[in-house]
Amino acid sequence: MKTGERTGAVLLVLAVVFFALGLKFVSGFGTRLPAPQTIPLVDPQFLETATIRKSYAELVRTKADLSDFDCYACHEKGKPPTLRFDAQHNVVVPQEHADVVMGHGTHNRNNNCFNCHDDQNLELLQARDGRQIKLAESPLLCGSCHGPTYRDWEAGAHGRTGGYWDRTAGAIQRKICVDCHNPHRPKIPPRNPAPGPHLLHPVAAAAVEASH
Amino acid sequence: MSTPTSNSHANEGQSADGLSRRSFLRSSAVLASGLAALAASLAPLRHLNDFPSLDQFLQKYYKELTPEEMAKVLKRIEGEVEREYGLRPHVRDLRPMNGVEFVYALNLTRCIGCRKCVHACVAENNQSRNPEIQYIRVVRLPHGSLDLEKAEHNYNPELVPEKGYFYMPVQCQQCKNPPCVKVCPVHATWQEADGITVIDYNWCIGCRYCEAACPYWARHFNFTKPSIPKERLNLDMAYLGNRPRRQGVMEKCHFCVQRTRVGRYPACVEVCPVGARKFGNILDPESEVSYILRTKRVFIQLKEELGTSPRFFYYFDV
Repeated sequence: MKTGERTGAVLLVLAVVFFALGLKFVSGFGTRLPAPQTIPLVDPQFLETATIRKSYAELVRTKADLSDFDCYACHEKGKPPTLRFDAQHNVVVPQEHADVVMGHGTHNRNNNCFNCHDDQNLELLQARDGRQIKLAESPLLCGSCHGPTYRDWEAGAHGRTGGYWDRTAGAIQRKICVDCHNPHRPKIPPRNPAPGPHLLHPVAAAAVEASH
Repeated sequence: MSTPTSNSHANEGQSADGLSRRSFLRSSAVLASGLAALAASLAPLRHLNDFPSLDQFLQKYYKELTPEEMAKVLKRIEGEVEREYGLRPHVRDLRPMNGVEFVYALNLTRCIGCRKCVHACVAENNQSRNPEIQYIRVVRLPHGSLDLEKAEHNYNPELVPEKGYFYMPVQCQQCKNPPCVKVCPVHATWQEADGITVIDYNWCIGCRYCEAACPYWARHFNFTKPSIPKERLNLDMAYLGNRPRRQGVMEKCHFCVQRTRVGRYPACVEVCPVGARKFGNILDPESEVSYILRTKRVFIQLKEELGTSPRFFYYFDV
């Protein structure tokens, strides 16, 4: 019968099509899977938990070289060094202290070494109320001006934290001000960001590339 | 499929049992194509080289495991990891501590967008490196706005922070009212007593409902078998935490249960170079998060209008 033959023909065509598709899928012919991109492992420097600098207290603790802090190897005891200023009232940092870049506070308001250092004993610090403070206890000096920050730091809200939150299980690791901030230039410099997410889809990745 | 018999009135070449040569050929062609289509639909299974073992398949639900069974399961997982990576891990089942509810506080004044937390988290939690799965998404927002439509997380400048922008890391907010838990059809994810929403990776069926339900994009799906380089495998593992996942399951930030439930800080807190990340027990009035929530300008829980009530707070100094 006519309808029977037509149905048969349709079924045959369908069968051939399915068969061909099946072969194609099974063989994987013509399917273009995106090549797996290579993503380099992140540089271990970004996993580092160390601070960007080491405080005096940390140097003492790790028994590092402390010769930089031996003031009276060069200076004379009992003779306060004299400061020199240029025409703009910037303190002239002598060659021997070339690693010191003055940058504490804005508008050149904090340009006197002896705002913090004790001119009578260079191995000590001095708060503005006259208290003498050991180098290893420098947060007391910082706190004498930066009160709210010092309060936050004591409560654990300012600065880095590590170790144990549960004090019964272990010790918390806190850092002091100068573990992160250079006292002569406390603003922390900008840094390289770690790599962002790698986009899987090539078109999306190209769009992001183009937007930069 | 009744074609071969319906046209059987055509009597030439018809055999005794009513099946013509033509109809036989037709029906066998249909059958062959049907089989081919079936084979084609099953073809992706060829790439599934990671069939669950019988023990894995028959494992009971996390909450129903007796301590002895749990010990056995942990042993088995250690063996599986060792076979895969050649390194013997230490897998534990850590339960919530009494009188502890974890809260996270993040200081938006401090965050510089360096993404160190992202990578410390990947390293700590054995996340897939290729394709990448990252629990933390750091978005860059222009100053003066909290419009997430303007958020950019593919920023890539030479140096951060950039002028005119601030950065907001987003990760699982450990909601008090978690939408992801509500939608899970098999109860593979739930909220624990210390506030951490966890996943039983052996119970997850990979339906991804939770991914769709989460307003924070915090849940991630393992489309492929996670690739973790052996030399970067973290061997300190927890059942509900950072043990290597299988293909086809969800994963998410769990506040590093392998660390926090033994009293340590999460990896992202420890690595943050600016101290923007704060973590602790909100039930302890002496903890830093209690201090922050008491005294700081805690201005948002992200998308708080959704009623998810996150345990993750963003705040500003002063």
